[in-house]
Amino acid sequence: MPPAGAMPTGEPPLPVGEDVEAIQGRSPWYLAYLRLRRNKVAIGFGVLFIVIVIFCLAAPLWSHLVAKTGPNDNHLTDQITIGGEKTFVVAPNGIPLGPGLHAKFLLGADDNGRDVMVRLMYGGRTSIYIGVMAAFITTFLAVALGLLAGYYRGWPDSVISRVLDLIWAFPVLLLGIALGTALAVGGLKIGPLEIPPDSLWIPIGIIGFVYVPYMARPIRGEVLALREKEFVEAAVAQGKGPIRIMFTELLPNLVSTIIVFFTLNIANNMLLEAALSFLGAGVKPPNASWGTMIADGEDRLITAPHLTIVPGLMIVLTVLALNVFGDGLRDALNPKAKLRMDQ
Amino acid sequence: MRKIRKVAALACVAALAALGLAACGDSGGDGGSGKEGGELKGTLTSFPDSLDPQDSYTLEGWEALYNVYVPLLTYQHGSGEEGTQVVPGLATDMPKVSADGKTYTLTLRKGMKYSDGTPIKASDFRYAIERLFDLDSGGSSFFSSIVGAEDYADGKADSITGIQANDQTGEITINLTDPSGTFPNELALMFAAPVPQNTPKDTVQTNNPIPSSGPFMLTDVEAPRGYTLARNPQFKTVQDAGASDVPDAHVDKITVTQNKNQSAQAQAIEQNTNDFMVDPPPADLLPDIENTYSDRFRFEESINTYYFWMNMTQPPFNDLRVRQAINYAVDPAALTRIFGGRLHPSQQILPPGMPGYQEYKLYPGPDLEKAKALLAEAKPSDMDITVWTDDEPDRKRIGAYYQDVLNQLGFNTTLKIIGGDIYFDTIGTLKTPDLDTGFADWFQDYPHPNDFFEPLLSGDSILQTNNQNYSQTSIPELTDEINQLDQEQLSDVEDQYAELDKKFMEQAAWAPYGNEEFTTFTSDRVNFDGVDFSLVMNLDYSSFQLQD
Repeated sequence: MPPAGAMPTGEPPLPVGEDVEAIQGRSPWYLAYLRLRRNKVAIGFGVLFIVIVIFCLAAPLWSHLVAKTGPNDNHLTDQITIGGEKTFVVAPNGIPLGPGLHAKFLLGADDNGRDVMVRLMYGGRTSIYIGVMAAFITTFLAVALGLLAGYYRGWPDSVISRVLDLIWAFPVLLLGIALGTALAVGGLKIGPLEIPPDSLWIPIGIIGFVYVPYMARPIRGEVLALREKEFVEAAVAQGKGPIRIMFTELLPNLVSTIIVFFTLNIANNMLLEAALSFLGAGVKPPNASWGTMIADGEDRLITAPHLTIVPGLMIVLTVLALNVFGDGLRDALNPKAKLRMDQ
Repeated sequence: MRKIRKVAALACVAALAALGLAACGDSGGDGGSGKEGGELKGTLTSFPDSLDPQDSYTLEGWEALYNVYVPLLTYQHGSGEEGTQVVPGLATDMPKVSADGKTYTLTLRKGMKYSDGTPIKASDFRYAIERLFDLDSGGSSFFSSIVGAEDYADGKADSITGIQANDQTGEITINLTDPSGTFPNELALMFAAPVPQNTPKDTVQTNNPIPSSGPFMLTDVEAPRGYTLARNPQFKTVQDAGASDVPDAHVDKITVTQNKNQSAQAQAIEQNTNDFMVDPPPADLLPDIENTYSDRFRFEESINTYYFWMNMTQPPFNDLRVRQAINYAVDPAALTRIFGGRLHPSQQILPPGMPGYQEYKLYPGPDLEKAKALLAEAKPSDMDITVWTDDEPDRKRIGAYYQDVLNQLGFNTTLKIIGGDIYFDTIGTLKTPDLDTGFADWFQDYPHPNDFFEPLLSGDSILQTNNQNYSQTSIPELTDEINQLDQEQLSDVEDQYAELDKKFMEQAAWAPYGNEEFTTFTSDRVNFDGVDFSLVMNLDYSSFQLQD
């Protein structure tokens, strides 16, 4: 039975029996923190995500100190010593070394004799980097468009909403493939901005772009509701301009929504990156990402399933961790919200 | 595939085949028993570059078209050496050649029809040759020695005056500017197959199949997903006209679909849900397939060379020392592993089995130190290079290996991987930016060493589009030597061709690394012993037959 005064809705318990003077006010952020702290599952998966990030950030250390090879270094004719015996990394008939308890090639080698463990760690860096950077792009564009459309309404809203509808009309994966394929040969050149086709900024830009409507529309909806509130009317009455209202009145009220979306968006971005890279429209070989590693291992699915399963498992764990943690954040920041990234 | 030619005597046609095929395998042939009719399903990793007989210039394309379009002369159906013999196709006999070797006379068989019922006419041959020039086809250079061909190509004439065709008698006379001993071989190439004169002259017809003259016709082409071959209902007219060297098909329909996953292709054959695959199974499955399915799997000899081309017209590869450094650095033994052991390591231009082949090695290695020393000496002004390859699994691995080698030498590389069906068109278009270096291979069009030198290494063969000389090699004295040797009897100049091979490798025009062995792998449903593998056309679909 909860103590007297406890909120049955998941709110932190009210202090009981304390001197009223001693009670300190609690900010919404602190309350959210308390709520999140009580969600052990979300915290657990948050920790898992941090562990995965640390694992990936440790790639150069593992590469230089343990494996002593880079992610793209071929070892087709090299030999390593296992159990006192010299063993080919790739046998003369093309069969690569499998996983085993040896520091070098812990997860075995791929067809080019590259260390799968090293590629897994570097690939994770790539996948997470793309996921996070694309999420920044999506968030920036979605917040800007959502604020403009929701605040001004009228024709700006119509124009922005129709453009978002247009992007929304294309399935994310299809649009990603189309853009990825189109930019694969010549890269992107807009005025002074030039991005080569093998740059990571190509998949980052594509993924950041295709998810904009999925975040911008709910933000616009929230702005539409917020701008009718009294505090906005009060700000107008005080003579604040639209830009100032958007940044000082509306944006702070959107922060919790944005944080939740941002977290969930990273997970979606990583999934899309893996799909695009698998299909050849994302990260360009020989650069490692978990998606390209799955594509590389596809041909070995029967004889060396770990080449596909291990990066696949890493994607599952990372996306699961981000989604569960994101849900926890949502519950903590705004328990009444029903935010989700529909696709 | 891909080439050009011209030579001197005529008797060399048979000699060429005999000399060039000492190492040919004797797989396939006429063994086993099967039944007529039925359907087969096959897979390939990359859709052919084209399914237009005047345009296609890849092994995948010719394999598909071999039994669809029949030239006046054709390559005999059969495995190994047998498949390199030139025999009459739509023509009644082998050509009559004038004493000066410049005039060829052939007669078209009478009463033949294309698959749509249109009569096959003698003038269709001239139309097909003219179409080569209108399409700017890579095959046009084979026929540029026909009188009037250059004027036609330049737009100075409405037709090629050196080809006279009489539709009434079926007589076709071809006048050449110079004698050519390999001309019959060229007449037997897919490029010279007659097509109806309502075929658009200046557009490739891959998606609108041209009516066929062979045992099959293309019925359903969905590039790049696949194509379907069905029996040509009019092929009886070709057989009735006496084309006994063009066998009829055994099965009614063959559907070939693209599948980039070679493991999936091979496993489907193991499970008998797929009947054959154009490409070899992947390396990791080969040992098991070889042991478990020995009754329906075998290795096949093939005359080819795999190499890396280097653009000799611009830095860094315009410096001999840089090209030599690449040859020292590339390790054929490493690349053999990517092929699952199916690659015979070699660092020369001509492959074993080709007349003029004499084994040698100019760049012992791999020797990265030597390579780095050469680069340090050369001090290339441009170290940023693009490495090209296509998206077939093995090719991607080859590209990744080559890029790693170049990175180890200190280059800043970008690996560009493009679709297998457009790869050679892309790197064969000189306007394509960043054509620095990349993957290439070459399979013989017919057993003559000129087939490797003239299209691939002669300065005269550099074209703006459909270029095969990817290194853009233009060394005047060696180009002259190619032209000179081409005028001689092959048997008299085999040693000179071996020397020419060395001269080009002294210039490090390529970085060759081996010769690939092919495979035939079929389902239980196929009469495996009856399947032919031609040294020129690969799998012969007309030999496919269902088991009894």
